[in-house]
Amino acid sequence: MDEYPAGSLDHNVPLLLTLGTRTGSGYDAGLGASLKEQAVLIRSDLAPLDSDQAHALLRYIRDRDASELPCNGRDASGRKYRFRVKTAERSLLLPPRRARLPEGIEAPSPSATPAPVLHSPYSPLSPISPLYPDGLIDTQWIRKHQELVPSVLLCFYALVSDPTLAKLCDNQIKTDINTIRALLSQSGYKTRLAVVLLSDHVSSAASFDGVQERLETIRRGSGLDSKALFLVPFTDSQEELERVAENMLTTLYTVSIEYYRDLGRHSRKKRGRGTVPQPTVPPTSGTSQTLSLAGWNVRYDFKSAMFAEYRLEMDVALRSYEQAYENLLSSEVMELIPSWSPRWNEARFLADVVSVRCLRCLFWNGQHSAAARRWQFHRERIADLVERQGRGTKNYGWEAWEARWAVVMADLIDKTDIPELAPTTLRLYLPPEKSIMGERLQPWELLHHTGYWHRMAAKHLQARKAFARAIPEDDRRSPSTSPASHVAKSAFAYDTYMCPDPHEEYPLGRAGVDHSQMIVDRLIRARAEFLKRRQARFAAEVTLECARELAVAKDWQNIVQLLRPIRKDMPFRAEGWVPIAEELNWALRTAAAEAGDAELVLLADWELLSRDFTKRPGWHYDITKSLEDVPLKSKPSVSIQDGQLISFVSASFLFKNEEGKAGQSVRSQLCIKSNAHQGSAPVVLQSVYVSFSGSLDGVVLRHRENEQASQHTHSKATVTTVPLAKHIGSDAQPESSTPDEANNGVTLLGSADLTLRPGQTLVFNMEIPLREPGETRADSLTLNVESEAFTLRQSLKFQERSNSSIWCISGSAMKSLPHPHPLAVHVLPRPPKMEIRCPIWREQYYTDEPITLRFEAENGEDVEALARLDVLLFGEKPPAFAVEIPGHEDQVSSSARSEEARLSGVPMGTIASSNTMAVCLRLPPIERSSRFDLTLKVTYFLPTNPGTPISQRAAFQLNIVSPFEANYGLLPRVHPDPWPSLFDPEGVPLPDTGNGDDDNHAPAPPKGISQAWCLVTRYASFASEPLRVTDVDITIQQATPTIRCSSTKRTGVLPASGTGRLVHPKTIEEAAFDLVAQKATVDDRSPAPLDISLIIKWTRPDADPVSVNTTTLPIPRFTLFGTEPRVLASVSHHRGSQNMTMMTMITLTVTIENASSHFLTFGLSMEPSEQFAFSGPKQTSLNLLPVSRRSVAYRLLPLAVTHQVRDESLGGEKGQDEAERAEEEEGGMWIRPALVVRDKYFQKVLRVIPASEGLRAGKEGLEVWVPTLGLGLGAAEGGEE
Amino acid sequence: MATTIPSIACLGVIGRNNNPLHTSIFPSYDPSTNSYHPVRTPLQFSLILSSTLDVFELRSRQNQAAGVGLTGDFGLLHAVDDRLAAYGFETNTGIRFVVIVDMRGRRIDSAVAAGLADGRDKRIAGAAAGLREGEMRPVFKAMQAAYIRLTQNPFYDPDEHSSPLGHGGKKIMSKKFAEEMRRIGENWTPGITNL
Repeated sequence: MDEYPAGSLDHNVPLLLTLGTRTGSGYDAGLGASLKEQAVLIRSDLAPLDSDQAHALLRYIRDRDASELPCNGRDASGRKYRFRVKTAERSLLLPPRRARLPEGIEAPSPSATPAPVLHSPYSPLSPISPLYPDGLIDTQWIRKHQELVPSVLLCFYALVSDPTLAKLCDNQIKTDINTIRALLSQSGYKTRLAVVLLSDHVSSAASFDGVQERLETIRRGSGLDSKALFLVPFTDSQEELERVAENMLTTLYTVSIEYYRDLGRHSRKKRGRGTVPQPTVPPTSGTSQTLSLAGWNVRYDFKSAMFAEYRLEMDVALRSYEQAYENLLSSEVMELIPSWSPRWNEARFLADVVSVRCLRCLFWNGQHSAAARRWQFHRERIADLVERQGRGTKNYGWEAWEARWAVVMADLIDKTDIPELAPTTLRLYLPPEKSIMGERLQPWELLHHTGYWHRMAAKHLQARKAFARAIPEDDRRSPSTSPASHVAKSAFAYDTYMCPDPHEEYPLGRAGVDHSQMIVDRLIRARAEFLKRRQARFAAEVTLECARELAVAKDWQNIVQLLRPIRKDMPFRAEGWVPIAEELNWALRTAAAEAGDAELVLLADWELLSRDFTKRPGWHYDITKSLEDVPLKSKPSVSIQDGQLISFVSASFLFKNEEGKAGQSVRSQLCIKSNAHQGSAPVVLQSVYVSFSGSLDGVVLRHRENEQASQHTHSKATVTTVPLAKHIGSDAQPESSTPDEANNGVTLLGSADLTLRPGQTLVFNMEIPLREPGETRADSLTLNVESEAFTLRQSLKFQERSNSSIWCISGSAMKSLPHPHPLAVHVLPRPPKMEIRCPIWREQYYTDEPITLRFEAENGEDVEALARLDVLLFGEKPPAFAVEIPGHEDQVSSSARSEEARLSGVPMGTIASSNTMAVCLRLPPIERSSRFDLTLKVTYFLPTNPGTPISQRAAFQLNIVSPFEANYGLLPRVHPDPWPSLFDPEGVPLPDTGNGDDDNHAPAPPKGISQAWCLVTRYASFASEPLRVTDVDITIQQATPTIRCSSTKRTGVLPASGTGRLVHPKTIEEAAFDLVAQKATVDDRSPAPLDISLIIKWTRPDADPVSVNTTTLPIPRFTLFGTEPRVLASVSHHRGSQNMTMMTMITLTVTIENASSHFLTFGLSMEPSEQFAFSGPKQTSLNLLPVSRRSVAYRLLPLAVTHQVRDESLGGEKGQDEAERAEEEEGGMWIRPALVVRDKYFQKVLRVIPASEGLRAGKEGLEVWVPTLGLGLGAAEGGEE
Repeated sequence: MATTIPSIACLGVIGRNNNPLHTSIFPSYDPSTNSYHPVRTPLQFSLILSSTLDVFELRSRQNQAAGVGLTGDFGLLHAVDDRLAAYGFETNTGIRFVVIVDMRGRRIDSAVAAGLADGRDKRIAGAAAGLREGEMRPVFKAMQAAYIRLTQNPFYDPDEHSSPLGHGGKKIMSKKFAEEMRRIGENWTPGITNL
C-alpha cells in the first residue's frame, strides 16, 4: 500500500480538531503553497489553555484516535465513536472553499455574462487543480476531508471560578466563540463547532446552580446547541475525566456523523442534477475536453461512498463504490481515455483506490470470499482493459502492478486483523461465508493468509524482473543520450503505471530497481507467515526461492544462513524428496563455496556424488577437488552422521553364522558399496572402522595401495580376504579415525585396498574372533576420507533388512544365507575343554565299605589352567567326604543342609595343557543303602583370559546297596549240663552282706538254669558281583545282666585258611552257631531277650585282602527261658554190630524241662509202630519238681520197610515234596514215633520239640531220621555214643 | 472464443513416511502459446506436493481435536496461488493422495463454457468456473481404487515402500498404476462423478 499516495487507500475516520490547548507544536495545515495563501484562517483570540486538566483531557482524546485501529466491524473496546484527532493551539487553516481566478484572467466584470463561477480548488473545474479540465478525482480531495476539514471543531476554554473574573471571562469566551463561528461560516465549510469548558475549581452544590447559569449564558450568547457545550468539572480523578470525555466524544460523534451525512447528501444532490457543471474558465490547452457527465457521476459516487465510509455505513459505501467503479470502467469513462494520456493512469489509479475501498468494505462486513473474488475481479478487469486498450500484460509494468495488487491485499488482510486467520488458529484459509457456500468457488476465493499473498507478490516481482531483463538496450539508455525519436517511441511502449520508465527500471550501466531485494523482502515476509502457521515445508520452498534471488544478488552469506537450517532440519532427505534435496544441495554448495564455508561444500559434494541425484554435466565429481575454489582458513574436518544426508556409500555387514563360541572366530563379510555417479573420481577411503557392540569393540581397516595379492578384481565387486590382527596400544598412535577407540575393548586391525570406484562394491571377508559370550552385533561403519585439504568422516548404521543376508562368494556369485539377524552373532560361552572322568565307576557300591572314588580332570585347553573344584553330594543324609588332591591338603566337606554335602572351591592348582590331575574322593562306610547324586565342577581360568571363568561339570549317581541279606532260625537244644537244684543251698543267693564288696567283685558265676540253642543263619549276597566272605560271626549283645550267653561257631562253614569264600550273587549260604545261655540265679525264671547281630566280613574279590569290610546284620530278637515246660526230643544213632549193616539202633531221649515253680506231672506214652520196634516205657508218668528236668530214653530199632509200604502209609500226604523223597531215597527215611507227652494236671498234650539233628517236627508229630546206611548221619552227628 | 476450466495438473501419492510414492504431471493449457505443457517443473511440483504435508499435519491435528475427518477426505488443503490448488485425501493406512488442480488448465470452447459459467467475458467466466466442495471425491476414489489394485499385487510389498521403521521408501514402479493415474488425471473434468 505504500506505493499509493498517502491517504488514498486508508480507511476514513471522522476528523476532530481541537483548538485552544497548548500542544507545543504548531498546526500543520498540510496545504500546498498555492492553496496556503488562499487558505482560511480560523483563530481564537484567547490564549490557549495550559492547565493540567486541559492537557489530560487532550491526551485522552488523542489516545482515542481511531485512525490506526483495525478495519473491521468488531468493536474492540466497546466504544461508540471513532475519531481521527488533530490539534491546534490557537489557529488553524482551512483550504479555501473557492479557488481564485487563475492569473491572467481578469477579474470578472459585472457586465460579463455569464460570470465565471468559482469552484473548489480540488475540483476539475478550477484551473488551479491538477485535475483541470477533465480529471476525475484525486488524493488531494480525499486528504482534504481526512486531514484538513474537520467535522467537529472542539474549542477548549477555561471556566474561571473567580467571581470577580467570571463575568469577564465568560464574555470573552462568548466573543471568541462568535468570532470562530463567523470565520467558519465565512469559510463555507459546515464544520460543527463544539465548546468544552474546563472548570478550574471543585464544584460544590451551592455553586452548581451558578455554573449552570453561566453555561446557559455562554450557550445563549454564542448561539451554541446544547449538545455542543460541555463542562468538564474540576477533578483529580482520571476516571471521572475519562467518563466525561467519553460522554463528550460520543455526543460529538453523532454530530460528526451528521456532518458527513450532510456532505453525502450534498454529493447525491449534485449527482441527481444530471448536468455537467461548467468550469470556471473553459480549457484552452490539450484537447479542451472537459469531464463528461459519466465522469462526474463517478466523482459524485466516489464522494458519497467516502462520506458513507466516514459514517461507517459500509453497505452504503460499498454500493456507491461499486457504482463508481462500474461507471469508471464503463465504456463512457475509462474506455474513452486514451492510454497515452496521463488521465489513463489516473483512472487506473482511481479504479485501484475504489477497489481497495470496496475490498475493505467487504472485509468490514466479513465477506472474505467475496473480497477475494472482488480482488480477482478487479485484476481480471484491469488486465482485460490493459490488454485491449493499454500496453498489454506482457511487460514489467503490469507485473509490478500485479505484485502491488497482491501486496495491497496482504496489507488489507493485516489491517482487517481477522481473528479466524490469526496464526494461532493454524488455519490457512477461511471457509467461504454462508451466502456463497455451495457455489462453484475458486480455491483462491477462500481467503488465504497473507503469506500466500506475499508469495504471490514475489512471483509477480520475479516476472517483472524477467520482463525488465528483457528490455532492449536501446530503451535502457537514459533519454538524454538517446535520439528523440526513440524516446518518443519507447514512451508509449511501456506501461509505466506507478513504476519507473525502462531506463530507470533497468538502466544500462548502473543499478536500477533492486528487484531481488523486493522479491526477497516479500519472500521473507511470506516465510515468516508460513512459519507462524507451522508450514515448515512451504517455508522451506519459499526459502529456496529466496536463496535463488539472493544468489543473483550474490549475497552468499545470507544464502548459507537461510539454507543451512533447512538442510539440517527439514526431512526432505529422510522422506525421499530427492529433487528437493538436490536443489538445496546445489544452491547451498554454490553459496558455501563463495562464502568460504568449506564444511558445507564438502557435505554437499559428498552427497551429490550419489547417483540418486541427477548428474550435472561438466561437474568434476571429485571429492578431493571440492575445496579447490574455496578459500580455507584451516583444514576442515567434517563428520557426517548416518541419515544426515543421502550417502552414495552404503554398507552392509554379515556374520556367516548365527552362533559362535567364545574363543572361536566367526567369518564375516563387510560390503561397502558405492552408488556414485559413473565417471566420478574414485574415492580413496583412508580407513574404515566397523564398530560392534558386545565383546568386540571394532575393526579398523586401513588403506593400502595396490594390494593385488589376495584380491580378485571384478567389474562389480571386489572380494578381499583381510587378515586381522589385534591392535596393540592405542597410545602408540593416536587414532583419530576411530572415535570409540578410547574404550578398553579390543580393536582389530587389518589393511586392504580401500579405493572405492563408482558403482563398485568392496567386499571384505574377515575372521572375527569372539571373546565374550553374549551377543556381538555390528553397529555402524565409519568411513574416513582424508586428503591434504580436509578430513571427512561418514558414519553409516548397518540396517537389518530382509535382503541383507547375501554372502558374496566372489565378485559375481553370491548366495543367500538363512540368517535372520545377519548383523548379530550369538556367542555361546567358551566350551570348556576340561574333562572330568572317573576311570573306574561301579554301578553299585556297598554299605559298610569305605568308598574311594578316583576322578581325573584332563586339561584339553591349549594353555595351562588354574582350576578349582566344587563337589556336591546330594541325597538323604549324605556322609561327609574328603577330597584328596595331590599336592594339596585334604579337604572335608561341610553340610549346609541335611540333604547335601558340599565342598566348594578346592584349589586344584595349575593343570598344564593336556595334563591330567587326579582327584580322590573318599567317603566313609555308609551304613544304609542309599542313593546320592555326586556333582563335580571344575572351574578354571586361562592365563590368556584371566577374567573369564570357565567351568565344566560332571554328575555321577552313587548307588549304595547292602551286599547281604540273611534270615535266621533259633533251634532249641538240650543243654548237657545238669540243672541246678532249687533245693541246693549253693544256688540260693546270699543276701547282700556288704555294699562295697559286691560292687568290686566280678559278678558271681551264674548259677541258674541253662539252655542250649542252635542259631542257623542263611545269608545271601545281593551284590552284583561275587564277593569274598572271609568270616561270618555273631555278636551277642548282653542286654540284661541276668543271663549269661556264649556262642560257639560251628566250623566247616568257611575255609579255615582265612582266604574266605567267594560268594556268588543270589546264592544262599548257611552258617550255624551254638548258643548257650544260663540264668544268673535259679530264682530268676522270667523270659530273657536275646539280641544277636550277624557279622559278615567280606572283601571285594579283587581288593586288597587286608581291607576287610564288616557288614553287621542285626538279627531279630529272640526270647529265651520261658516258664512253660518244654519237651525236648533228641536222638542218637548207634550202629549195630558189624554184620547188621542195615540195622541202626536209635536212642530217642525225651527231656521234659519244668522251668516253672510248680510241681508237674506228665504222662508219657509211646505207640507201637510198624516202622520200628522200641524199648522203653510204653506208658509212664513223670513227676517233675519245680526247676528240674527229667529224661526218658527209648531205644528204637527201625524195621526194614519197603517203599511201597511207606508210600501207602504216606499215601495221605501227597504234599511230601520231591526233594524230601529224593533225600530219603538217598540216605534213609523218616519214621514217626507216636510219642505223646501229656500234662496230667491240665490234660494238655505238649509238643515235642526236636532238639537235635535227625529230628524234625512233622505235621503229625515228631519224625526221626533213619539213615539207610551206616555212614549216613553217623559222621555228622554229635549224638551219644 | 475459448475459455479455460480447471484440470488436474499433478497427481501425487505420498506414503506413510511422508515419502513420495508416485507423481504424475499433466500439461496445462498455456494461452500465450495456445499449447499444452506442464505449468511447473517437476521440482516445483515436488515442492508443492511436499508442502501439502504441512497441511496434512495441521489438518489431522485439527481433525483429531475436533473428532472429525474420518472419511479421510481433507478437501482443499490450500491454494498454492490463484491458479493452483491442492486437494488431499488420506487413507486409513496413512497413504496420502494429493491432487493439484490447475484452475485454468484446460481450454474449452465458449459454447461449452456457456454451460459452465454465465460470465460476460472469458476471464470472468474462468474466474467463476470454480469448484464445489467434494468435487475431487471421484478422483480420490479412483486413486484409492488404483492403489488398492496395486496392493493386491502379491509382488507389491507396502512395507518396502513405506518402511514401518519410519524412513523413506521406494517409489511405486508399477506401470499399470502410473497408467491408471494418467487416465484419472486426463479424464477428470469439473462436475464429473465417476472415473
